[in-house]
Amino acid sequence: MSRPSDDKLREIVARFPTTREEDWKYTDLSRARDIAARWLEEKPAAAASASPDRAAAITDSIDAAWLVIANGELQTSRPPDGVTVGKVDYIPLGDSALAEFNAALVSDGIRIRVSGKVSTPIGLLLIDSAERTSVSQAYVEIEFDDGASAGVIEYHASRGRADQYANTFVTFGIGEAASASHVRIQDRGRQHVQTSKTRVRVGKDASFSSASFDLGGCLVRNDIDIDIARPGADVSFDGLYLAGDGQHIDNHTRVDHRVGPATSRQEYRGILNGRCRCVWNGKAIVHEGADGTDADQANHNLLLSEKAEIDAKPELEIYTDDVKCSHGTTVGQLDETALFYLRSRGLDRNAAIQVLTHAFAAGLVTRVPVPAARDAVSSLIERRLEELAVTIEDEES
Amino acid sequence: MLDIKDLKARVAGNDILNGLSLSVKAGEVHAIMGPNGSGKSTLAQVVAGHDDFEVTGGSVSFKGQDLLDLDPEERAREGIFLGFQYPVEIPGVNNAYLLKAAMNARRAHRGEGEIDSFEFLKLAREKMAALGMDPKFLNRGVNEGFSGGEKKRNEILQMAMLEPECAILDETDSGLDIDALKAVAAGVNALRSPDRAIVLVTHYQRLLDYVEPDFVHVLSQGRIVRSGDKTLALELEEKGYDWVREAASA
Amino acid sequence: MATETEQLESLVNRRYEHGFVTDIATESLPPGLDEDVVRAISARKNEPQWLLEWRLQAYRQWLEMDEPEWAHVHYPKIDYNAISYFAAPKSDDDRPKSLDEVDPKLLETYDKLGIPLHERARLAGVAVDAVFDSVSVATTFKEKLSEAGVIFCSFSEAVAEHPELVRQYLGSVVPRRDNYFAALNSAVFSDGSFVYVPKGVRCPMELSTYFRINAANTGQFERTLVVADEGSYVSYLEGCTAPMRDENQLHAAVVELVALEDAEIKYSTVQNWYPGDENGKGGIYNFVTKRGDCRGANSKISWTQVETGSAITWKYPSCLLRGANSVGEFYSVAVTNNLQQADTGTKMIHIGPNTSSTIVSKGISAGRAQQAYRGLVKVMPQARGARNHTQCDSLLIGKDCGAHTFPYMEIRNPSAKVEHEATTSKISANQLFYCRQRGISEEDAVNMIVNGFCKEVFKELPMEFAVEAQALLNVSLEGAVG
Repeated sequence: MSRPSDDKLREIVARFPTTREEDWKYTDLSRARDIAARWLEEKPAAAASASPDRAAAITDSIDAAWLVIANGELQTSRPPDGVTVGKVDYIPLGDSALAEFNAALVSDGIRIRVSGKVSTPIGLLLIDSAERTSVSQAYVEIEFDDGASAGVIEYHASRGRADQYANTFVTFGIGEAASASHVRIQDRGRQHVQTSKTRVRVGKDASFSSASFDLGGCLVRNDIDIDIARPGADVSFDGLYLAGDGQHIDNHTRVDHRVGPATSRQEYRGILNGRCRCVWNGKAIVHEGADGTDADQANHNLLLSEKAEIDAKPELEIYTDDVKCSHGTTVGQLDETALFYLRSRGLDRNAAIQVLTHAFAAGLVTRVPVPAARDAVSSLIERRLEELAVTIEDEES
Repeated sequence: MLDIKDLKARVAGNDILNGLSLSVKAGEVHAIMGPNGSGKSTLAQVVAGHDDFEVTGGSVSFKGQDLLDLDPEERAREGIFLGFQYPVEIPGVNNAYLLKAAMNARRAHRGEGEIDSFEFLKLAREKMAALGMDPKFLNRGVNEGFSGGEKKRNEILQMAMLEPECAILDETDSGLDIDALKAVAAGVNALRSPDRAIVLVTHYQRLLDYVEPDFVHVLSQGRIVRSGDKTLALELEEKGYDWVREAASA
Repeated sequence: MATETEQLESLVNRRYEHGFVTDIATESLPPGLDEDVVRAISARKNEPQWLLEWRLQAYRQWLEMDEPEWAHVHYPKIDYNAISYFAAPKSDDDRPKSLDEVDPKLLETYDKLGIPLHERARLAGVAVDAVFDSVSVATTFKEKLSEAGVIFCSFSEAVAEHPELVRQYLGSVVPRRDNYFAALNSAVFSDGSFVYVPKGVRCPMELSTYFRINAANTGQFERTLVVADEGSYVSYLEGCTAPMRDENQLHAAVVELVALEDAEIKYSTVQNWYPGDENGKGGIYNFVTKRGDCRGANSKISWTQVETGSAITWKYPSCLLRGANSVGEFYSVAVTNNLQQADTGTKMIHIGPNTSSTIVSKGISAGRAQQAYRGLVKVMPQARGARNHTQCDSLLIGKDCGAHTFPYMEIRNPSAKVEHEATTSKISANQLFYCRQRGISEEDAVNMIVNGFCKEVFKELPMEFAVEAQALLNVSLEGAVG
């Protein structure tokens, strides 16, 4: 694929969404725009290949067949039986400037095909290293044949002190009666930017279960769009965001119920401490004729700092009557009674806070749909919560 | 009073009742027993006219008229009462309001005037006292936030107020503690009369210790496979339903 | 199942009862809007110079604004120059001194609307300030109110009699350029109600205004201002109806409430504007800005609305919770049928410490109607201890209607507790069967279930209006079971 002119790229960057758009009301992409503009200005040579070494700890700790995508390029690939890895013929242009930016720059669009029931999870390590201002693009399509099943683990990491912006598109096509389990762990450098979009098409009687964890990054925006166009779909996804100083993490979810019966359930939880802002926008659209839809959204937030802000928006758009839809959102603190109970058992306040915040997060860990990833997820959360808990102590002293 | 002949019914494509016949006369108490999935509840729902169930054969007549032709509310006004296994919660609708509306619908059907509010309250309080129900329940939403036992007592209260000619109680004893069970049984016994029929649908024998049935029928695979007097219930309790199944297939 | 849906649909098909036209001559300004029209309105009302200036500034600001498009409603672009901005009953020249002098046709109109002024006023103890099109025609119980020191009069009268109060509070809650329709209203508002309850006074009766849009092509732009001084209490009800007309009529009102320390305002609305016919022809565009300012500590503002009318509703009665411990409430029942569209909800802005708010919204959508709940709960960084609970339920009747929920929560204080719950469902078949098994007809059962669904809101209405609202809902759902 030939790369468009820099002028064309600048023109695309100028069209990145702004906070004037309802979907971007709470998330200002200036920083991404700025990194992209500087990167274009600096006329980069071909991206230096990143070393996956330092992410090896993760790939070692999760038993999966890892594909390594460094700075947007496929480095190694040892797919398990029943899985083939190739390149996509073309990348659809998409409907946004971010998709265009991705299509214009991605070097290898990766196509993964799952046939049959695959027991070894497929790992996707997306790692960027930033020795200088850089931008990376990844595009991955994962197709599940009818009746196929597999777990997919995405791990997003980045290293380096320079500014980095990663723009990622992952698509799931899930065939009839197929079953896809998915875990996304975003643990990028605390100064790095990411926009990601996950698109899921769910086939007849197929299932999609997912859990995503946002731990790192300074400006992160994830979109997950799930399209249910065949009856019998069963969709369930969770998300956890743990934000501290200097982080902005935005999760936008959208489920289109075009036919029924089908079930979708989502639960996002957030723990915010320090100067940070998180956004959760869940949208369920039940289209005309999607009778027998059961859609549920939940979002719970622990706000632990004076400087933290949460913007939550659970949306339902319903165009037929044979539905059962609900959402629940809460913003609050740890339960004082529970805190008191733990302290009466001899824990100090901070220890009690830690126990309760861990419990709040742990509820989602037990539901991680790819069992091989559970321990790693659990220890990453543990580590991140310890970092956040330090901040509480600082504030109280 | 209630004549069921060769009744066949299905729900969501599954045949549940496969030629069930039962005749209940005024003044009689019948108990219908059977293992889970034998069609007990379906029978109750079909007689009451739930439209999830499709009647594919047979007939049901009540006081000589074809019941299957009537809407659920018409059957109720004729005197069929169904005590629900799972009484429905209707948030915001006052219990007393529903009860009064139901009584007046039945009275209007019989060409009687509406019940006087004072008389209604007096009657309701009496019946509630007999059932050991707090009069406050009158002003709560229909079954809204009621415990299992409270819901079942509420069903019996409605039955006591409506004085149906034929009451079908679907697993009214399930999930009750001994006090509630006695209260419910007392409510049922109070209604026993020569011009009334009662059908108890139950899984266990224990309700029958308190409400003595004239006849006991055992249901299996949508058919009555055995009928007898109250001793049949005891025998069943002792030998279990497998015994019936064996008997049925034998 | 299909037949059940059809039956439900037929239940909710009903005709508009208040659709008749009062045949009395009205004196209107020709259609169109420019500074001269603004001047003419002000001159007709003998307004002081400052108010004229205020209107003109609003007009200039409005010219620079764009009509909002974010709401989940669709309608052809409004031609603001095709609207007449002032209509007064002819008898304006010699205004009636008492009810006996009121044009009997007017009184008849109110009777048809079910507002028997005499009876209601006397028996129910309700003072009614009736707004017919744009000019207030009859005010009752003024004397009893004035004994208590309560001022309750038309807006025009307040401008003449109490200019200092009007000047102090007008636009202090809804600034002129707050939004497109508020700016338009500020430029051309015709009349409305004014209430002032002095310190420590508990208003001795419910205050009530009935609004009605009559003249063809007349926008109605009322302005209502309610000020509750320290430690006072007032309950205010507005009822709105409009006659049937083929063309759409614009209604862009502004309501401002100010509650000072320890004061409480309860504001209830029963809105039954003409919704258009079953093909969506005609009906009122109801684009209203309502906002209450809990300015003082321990103040409370409570909005209750029962909305069954209008072709399009765009309305978000809101509370600015500025005083410490102040309380905001929003209770709403909205019914949309046929081709009605409603985008309604509330905003609760928590500014002061320990402020709390409650939102209960019940939406019922039938026919081909589209209804959206849009709400904002915002907790500012300084609003320590803020509390909000939101319950937002939708009931759908029929395959072709829509119910949508767009709640925004923006929370910037860690001591805030905010809870939002929403459900959407159709009338449960089990509930219907249960009622029918007890001998209740399907139609009655539907009414019963819908009224139960709305109960949390109805219980917030003043007693006599709760009955009315319930009746209105039953009328809305009236029809033969197929």
